[in-house]
Amino acid sequence: MNAMINVARYHLVQPVLFITLPLAMLAFLFAVNAARGGDTWRDGLTVIFLYFFIMGVQRVGGRWLPFGLALGATRRSFYVGTALLGVSMSLVYGLVIAGLQAIERATGGWGLSITFFRVPYLLNGPWYATWLTSFVGLSALFVYGMWYGIVNRRWGMLGLLAFVAVQVPAGIAVAFARTWSGVGGPHPSLSALDLTGVIAALTVVILAGGHATIRRVTV
Amino acid sequence: MTPAISVTGLTRRYYDEVALDGVSLTVGAGTITGLLGRNGAGKTTLLRILAGQEFPSSGSVQVLGAAPAENEDVLRRLVLVREDQVYPDFKVCHALRAASFCHPDWDAGLASSLLNDYGVRAGKAIKGLSRGQRSALGITIGLAARAEVTLFDEPYAGLDAVARQVFYDRLLADFAAFPRTVLLSTHLIDEAASLFENVVVIDRGRVALDTAADGLRGMATTVSGPVLAVDSFTAGRPVWERRGLGSQASVVMVGQVSGEDRELARSLGLDLTPLSLQQLVVRASGWSAGADSLTERTWA
Repeated sequence: MNAMINVARYHLVQPVLFITLPLAMLAFLFAVNAARGGDTWRDGLTVIFLYFFIMGVQRVGGRWLPFGLALGATRRSFYVGTALLGVSMSLVYGLVIAGLQAIERATGGWGLSITFFRVPYLLNGPWYATWLTSFVGLSALFVYGMWYGIVNRRWGMLGLLAFVAVQVPAGIAVAFARTWSGVGGPHPSLSALDLTGVIAALTVVILAGGHATIRRVTV
Repeated sequence: MTPAISVTGLTRRYYDEVALDGVSLTVGAGTITGLLGRNGAGKTTLLRILAGQEFPSSGSVQVLGAAPAENEDVLRRLVLVREDQVYPDFKVCHALRAASFCHPDWDAGLASSLLNDYGVRAGKAIKGLSRGQRSALGITIGLAARAEVTLFDEPYAGLDAVARQVFYDRLLADFAAFPRTVLLSTHLIDEAASLFENVVVIDRGRVALDTAADGLRGMATTVSGPVLAVDSFTAGRPVWERRGLGSQASVVMVGQVSGEDRELARSLGLDLTPLSLQQLVVRASGWSAGADSLTERTWA
């Protein structure tokens, strides 16, 4: 446990990437959204989710893993420590999103009818549902990104292509399931919380896959 | 006493090459050992396996009494400083802070005084360091970690002679105060020779020589002078190499030189020069065409 906490502390020696940068990005996008005005949701919040994915890729696919192992971390403690940090950050950012959404709702869109933190269908319920769904979504993307990073480190570009290729059928299945469940339409048979449950289950599968993949990584 | 490092029949194969081929060696606790050999001999692969960064294809590896791969107890007490270490995009002080809580015996005072000696600013981005400064950072982490097993892989690429001397002096001083097991790979053999208690030479993935450094000093001697005198002096002794130039000859003679031999050489007007560690290593690395390794020829 101590080793995993050390890994998390190692990632946090440069906190700008976990705190300052994502918050600055959110603020910038919010400002752009506000300047454009109007009551439609324009994908601004998606960026924070993408950021978590990229951060996951970076932490194991980039330069953090080699120095982490040089500092005496095992692959296992590095993996679990990094995932724990990502999940904790998701918990915090989920709360930030839920809090800002509550303010947005209470102030009638910041007094300007802006819809930024209220995402149709997905993040549009009570604050705890928003917290849960964004927490699960951010965590899922972080560990999914980690898996990409590990595949890249072990097998390079060809490995990444193969990794994407085997997921194509899954992607098609998701597209069919979406049509079938009516998600995105006026009468979805799957609620946002149901979807959150599915994503949480997927996250567990992804975590296990990443763990199996990092076991033979070399630096 | 259990050795700090014990390797038996270690082999590492890649797709089309064998980086290590049945390596067996032991390194005693509390010694400084030189790990020598040519480029591509397998030194870095061996050190990476010892540090758990790479996996063996076969054979057994024990560091501090256990296999190092994925072993928290061992890795916490070990540090490997690599010439090609990759650092995240952060500053020198970030790397040191991370090292400080990952190495239980970290000495922050030593780290900052080393950085100071090398003129590396803690606030500088690692990306912007020169080759020599990057080496200095590696050396700083390696020494300040005070790890029970300290592995250096060519730690001073790009460092000038003065900076290298700083490394040797600091290593010896800190080693004396806090004994540990040091395995140092280097190409600057004669320069580092006085540090080594033991020497391991690796050649094409095999151990070509594994011996106490003291035993190597005076192991072979170059005899040079007039051809006739050289021939009579070396008659009946094992010889490695003979070179002639006109009336002068130079012969590398194997074995210790006695006091009587020195008298005789003086009276014959011959020069006796012991072979340096570097020259011995060049031989052990199978430099002479068609020769077997040094071990097989003389010590087998």
